[in-house]
Order: sequence, then structure tokens, then C-alpha cells
Amino acid sequence: MATERGTIESFGHVSRTAGTVFRYLLLAATLFGIVALTVLLIYVANDAIRPLTADPGWHLTFLLTLVLPTLAVGAYLFRTDPASFRFGGAIVGTLAVSTMFAGGVAMLFVDIVEPVTWFAYVLALCLALGGVVVIERLDRRLPFLVRFVAAGVIVLVSLLVVPGAVTSLPVYPSDGVLLTLSVGAPIALVVGRYVAAADGRRRRVAAVVATLVVVGLGAFVGPLVGVTPVPATVVLAVAVVPTGGYAIGRIRRNPERRAGLGLAAVILGGTVVGAVAVDALGFAGPQSWVDWGFLTSAHSGTAANAGLYPAIGGSILLMVTVAALSFPLGVGAAVYLEEYAPDNRLTRFIDVNISNLAGVPSVVYGLLGLGVFVTYLGQSTGTVLIGGATLALLILPIVIISAREALRSVPDSMRQASYGMGATRWQTIKNVVLPRAFPGILTGTILALGRAIGETAPLIMIGAPNVLFSLPTALSSKVSAMPLQVYAWASLFASEPFYQAAVPAGVVVLLIVLLSMNSIAIVLRNKYQSDQ
Amino acid sequence: MTDNQKQEYAADESTDDPTTDDMAIRTDVSESVSASGPTTSGAPVVRAENVDVWYNDDQALQDISLEIPENQVTAMIGPSGCGKSTFLRCINRMNDMIDAARVEGDLHLRGKNVYDDDVDPVALRRRVGMVFQSPNPFPKSIYDNVAYGLKIQNKDGDYDEIVENSLKRAALWDEVKDQLDTSGLDLSGGQQQRLCIARAIAPDPEVILMDEPASALDPVATSKIEDLISELAEEYTVVIVTHNMQQAARISNKTAVFLTGGELVEFDDTEKIFENPDSQRVEDYITGKFG
Repeated sequence: MATERGTIESFGHVSRTAGTVFRYLLLAATLFGIVALTVLLIYVANDAIRPLTADPGWHLTFLLTLVLPTLAVGAYLFRTDPASFRFGGAIVGTLAVSTMFAGGVAMLFVDIVEPVTWFAYVLALCLALGGVVVIERLDRRLPFLVRFVAAGVIVLVSLLVVPGAVTSLPVYPSDGVLLTLSVGAPIALVVGRYVAAADGRRRRVAAVVATLVVVGLGAFVGPLVGVTPVPATVVLAVAVVPTGGYAIGRIRRNPERRAGLGLAAVILGGTVVGAVAVDALGFAGPQSWVDWGFLTSAHSGTAANAGLYPAIGGSILLMVTVAALSFPLGVGAAVYLEEYAPDNRLTRFIDVNISNLAGVPSVVYGLLGLGVFVTYLGQSTGTVLIGGATLALLILPIVIISAREALRSVPDSMRQASYGMGATRWQTIKNVVLPRAFPGILTGTILALGRAIGETAPLIMIGAPNVLFSLPTALSSKVSAMPLQVYAWASLFASEPFYQAAVPAGVVVLLIVLLSMNSIAIVLRNKYQSDQ
Repeated sequence: MTDNQKQEYAADESTDDPTTDDMAIRTDVSESVSASGPTTSGAPVVRAENVDVWYNDDQALQDISLEIPENQVTAMIGPSGCGKSTFLRCINRMNDMIDAARVEGDLHLRGKNVYDDDVDPVALRRRVGMVFQSPNPFPKSIYDNVAYGLKIQNKDGDYDEIVENSLKRAALWDEVKDQLDTSGLDLSGGQQQRLCIARAIAPDPEVILMDEPASALDPVATSKIEDLISELAEEYTVVIVTHNMQQAARISNKTAVFLTGGELVEFDDTEKIFENPDSQRVEDYITGKFG
């Protein structure tokens, strides 16, 4: 066909107008969500923190000590050494998020659990686990059932007897020592494990001892700077040691990234220098509604004195309960459905209905919680236990679905390899499938917990009190939560001061907690995706 | 695990079994067999009699009978879909994993029919090593990869020594001896496949099955794996499925040719198959006229 054709003058032109218009419409649709969220955040944050109420001198001081140096060092690093830039950012981010987390944990020990009770249970758990390990090691030829029963007896005895025995002792060490042992020691062991993997076993002992010493110092150094021993110990154990360990470990592996430490030092140092400087020069900071008083006091009749403390504590307790209930149930169901369940009608029916349950409105779960736990099981309304159980039901389908997704992403070739070695299904799941799927499962669970922490409707339905003046101290105490408290301020105490002060401040705290939980999940996911 | 040990692979208990004697003298006879000498000696390790396999109503293998000799490399070649991998997976009952698969006939491993009712497929697989098409090390350290079989079987012995020996036999020790704690996934493709071979031989299996072990590798890594297979045949019985006829000709002592429809057309010494096959279809396949 192409025989009688001459040379081509021009190929002509094809119109792309429609395509271009379509493309920019799509871009606008994409940006709409982000812009709306940004506007909302800025608006609420402005109401809550009120940066414009500060002295100009305050702004100028922090501009000079913090913002400009950070921008200069950051821009320089970003251009010359992006890896170090990210490393520096990661250190500051880790410190910020872990300090927040440490605050929550410290609250737990200050107002909810006596350190000695916690210590007693940790000790009991250690004895139980130790007993099981010893039985496993002693004689693996004993019949499985014998070992199983023996391990069960040891676990039960130590969990039932040891806590009571320890707490009834006439004298015990100070809170700082107890927390160093019961919070610091597990963290020291984790640090030691990482050090052992990276630097060999000999350094492990040094790392464990160093961690314990740093945590133990909290009780002595804390009071010098005006912090009581318990929070000081907790912050060192949960925030400072992990951040420091992360920074040191990274530097040892990639020494060329140590410039990132400079960025972190500029940000942290700038903050401290700025704070000292405004104090010395007498510049007043912004009259933020989110201040120490707001975080540490209970509701009050006047908006300026109202605080979120019982609600924060309630949210933390609810999260612990929800995680403890939904994680084993959800992961268990996911493992069964992915690894064991035969492909039959029943399984497909369960499959479809789990997806349906994930879409059921939360107020319906609230009604279910009220009906089952309060009316049918006769629990009193609004307690930590039934609040947690209701929220756990709410996120259970999400946990199951995301855990199944994680299990499905484990390549089948790994299962084949394990079965080919003569592993049983249980061994394959335990040794190959679960370790590989764990990061994904954890990510999904954290995101699901993030949904639970923002729920209001189910808590209203089960009769959680709108206003609570002290932290719940047991599973059967009444509980409030951050979104519920905000809702109460916006509805029951609806007045101009509450709208202007307490509501935005509560929303900002809730959002900060939620966004940092999501960022933990995203960081975990990215880290393990790049590892595999 | 004790529940499995109780039902340990039934061949252990039968006293009239030739297994125990063979195993005792295995290392002694090994040296007399070289990769090029197609000498069949002693009882076959694997003996298939009239094996048929169906996937639902499709027959994948028709009436396969063959005997795989000890300490030699036996290659299975044939076009895609001819059932050679299916046959390989019959030997360690990996086909049990597929719900639709159904196996009929007898398949003896050292005299014991692996499809007998009293055979626990998990216990059977502990006596058979398997290497897959694409390298599939576990996301664990190199050491834990090799020790995996020992750990799940609760084997006694010095794991450090067994891991070292297995890596040496898999010609990987010199490359990884300083990084046993690093992840097996950090190795190159060829190293990963040798790691998988080390993992397969660590529990000292009766036979090693290889399902196209070099098809996902580059030529250099492939030639290393081929050298390794020839060396392994001094101590182990190796059954290898391959697409690559030159590979079969280079490394195997015996060759089985499967053709479309799941039939075993010819099974003989490799030299005979490649130089003077009995069947015209095999000759056509080998010379590239078909398949």
C-alpha cells in the first residue's frame, strides 16, 4: 500500500483541548480536599493558639533564634544532603511524637495506676513468661499437652498470686526505682536487641546498662528542673532513650548523615534559647487556649479555666481497652480467614458481611453496645469497659480487613518454601507469615484506633458522662473522651466563650493526637515497605 | 511438634526397609559416582508406578512409571504444561496443597509408598528437600534461613556447624561467612538461590527436588548453580525440572522427556536421549522441530 507515496510535508496536528481541560479539572478536584483541610486546620489552630496575641518582640525573638536558623540550615541541607535533612527531621519528629506519648504514659502512672501495682503486674508477667520459656527449654520431648498444662498453671499462678503478694509488702522502693525497673528495663531489652543485631552481642550489655542508668537518673535529675520523679522517669524511658537510640544507631550505620544532627540541634537549641530569651526580655507569649492549664485541669464553669485532662485520660484508657480487645480478635479472625478457612459458602458469607460491618454507622454500634452490655449483660452505663468494648466492635471489621490485606501481601512463594521444608501450617504461620505481615497489621490497627479515638456517637449512646472531673481509675469507672468533651462544650455549655476558647482548643488537641497516630502508622508502613 | 513426631514418616518403623542400610553407607559409595557416568546402582530412591494426576477433570499426568537412581542427577524436560513440575510435586506431596489435585498410583520413596494412608505429608517433606523456580529465602537472617529446617524439626546437634557445612556445600560460605546475621533478602538472585539450596540440604534430605532452579537467574549465576548441582549429586539424589535442554544435557545422568498431554515419552540415560532417542517425537522435540 505504501509504495506510491511521496515524502511527508507535515504530520498535521491532533487537538488536546478536551484532555487538557479534563486534566486541570482533575487537579482542581484533587486540590479541593487538601485546601479545605488546610483552611480548616489554620482556622481552628488560629482560634485555639491565638498567635497574634503575643508581643511582637516574642515573635521577633523566636524568628531570630528558631525560624531563621532552621530555615537556613534546613535549606542548605535540603539542597546539599537530602538524606541528612530527612534524618534531622526524623529525629525532631520522633522526639515530638514520643514526648507526647510519654505524656500519656506519665498520666497513667500519676493518676490511674500506682507504679507499685504496675511493677507487680510486670513482674508477674515476666515470671509467667520465664516459666513458659524454661518449660520449653527444659525438655522438648515432653508431650505437648503436658507442657501446655504446666505452662498454663505457671502463668495462672504467677498472674494471680504475685501481684497481690508484691503490693502487700510493707516497704517497697521509691516510684522512680519501680518505674525504672518496670518501664525502663523492657525498653532497655529492646534497645539491647537492636544493638546486638547491629554491633554484636558484647555491646548489648553496655547498651542495656546505659539505658537503665539514663532512665534511673530521671528520679534524681527531674526534681532539679521542677519535674516530679514519675513523669521524669517516664519521659526519659519512653521519649529520650528511644529518640537517642534511634539517632545513635543511625549515625553508626550511616556516619555521613551526621549533618542531620546539626539540624535537630538547631531546632531544639533554638527553641530553648528562644524560650530563655523571651523570659529574660519580658516578652509575653500568645494567650493560647491550649496551654498547660488546659491540658492538666478538668472542666470548669468558665471557659478560660476549662480543661481537657479527664477526657485525655479517658481517651487513653479507652484506646488501651480497644487495642487489647480488637487486636487479638481482629488478627485472629484475619489469620483464620486467610490461612485456614476453606473456600466455601460460609467463608464467602462471612467475607461479605465483614465488609458490610465496616460500613455500619457508628451510632448503630453505640446502640448495639447499649443493648448488649448495658441492658442484656447488666453493666452500668458509660464505663471504660463497655465504652472500649463498643469501640472495639466498631473497628473490629476494619482491623480484620487491614490484617487480611497484610497477610495476603505475604508472597505465596514463602509459604511454599516453608511447607516444602516440612513445616506444619502453624509453624509456617508463626515463623514466616506473621513476622512478615506484622508491620502491615500494626499499621492497619493504628489507623483503626485513630478512627476509634475520634468517635463520639457510640459513647453518647452507651451513656458516657459529658463532663467528668477526675480520671477514671478502673475499668468500671465512668469515662469521658476528648471528642465527647468537645461535643459537650459545643452543645451543653453553648456560649460565646466556650465556642471561642474551649472548643477550638479541644479540637486542636484531638487533631494533634490523631494526626500523630496516623503519622506513626505511615512511617511504619514506609519503613517496612522499603525493607522488603 | 511432638504430635507430628509421633506420626513420624512411617518408613522409620518398618524393619524390613532398606532405608537404614543405605543411609549408613551413603557417604562411602558417593565418591564412585561421577556426573558423567550413567551407572545405575542399588535400589532406586524414587519409584513411580502408574501415577495419574488430575486437576478436577483435566488429566495432568498419564500413567507415569519411572525409577530415579541414587546419587545421580535426573532431569525432567518437556514443553510447558507437560506435567513435569506436577510430577516433581507428587514426590513430596506438595500437590496436596491444591484442593483440585488428585493423585492415583504408587510412588515409592526408598520403598515406602508416599501415598499410603499412614504417611504424614509434613513428615514426608522433612525427608525431601525442595528448591523452587524463583529464589524464595525467608525474610530472616542467612543463618536462620539455613537453620529453619532444623528448628522446625527440633533437631539435635550443633546448628552452627550444620549451617556452616550446608553453606559450604552450597558454595556460598566464602561469600557470606562474615554476614550470617544479615537478611537473606539482601543477597543477589544467584546467591539467594544457593541459600535456598543450603536451606534444603541442611536437614540432610533423602532427595532434593529442584523446580527450574536457574530459570530466574542470569547466565553467570546459572552456571554456578549448574556446577553446584553436579557436586551435590556426589552426596545427594537430585531431581531437576528444567525448560533448558542444554542444561539437562550438561548436568544430568538420566533424562525423562514429558510431552504434551502429561505422558512420559522416554526415560533413559541422558546421552542416549540426546544422541539417539528411541522415539521420533522425542527427537523432534530435542532438535527443536516441535515444542
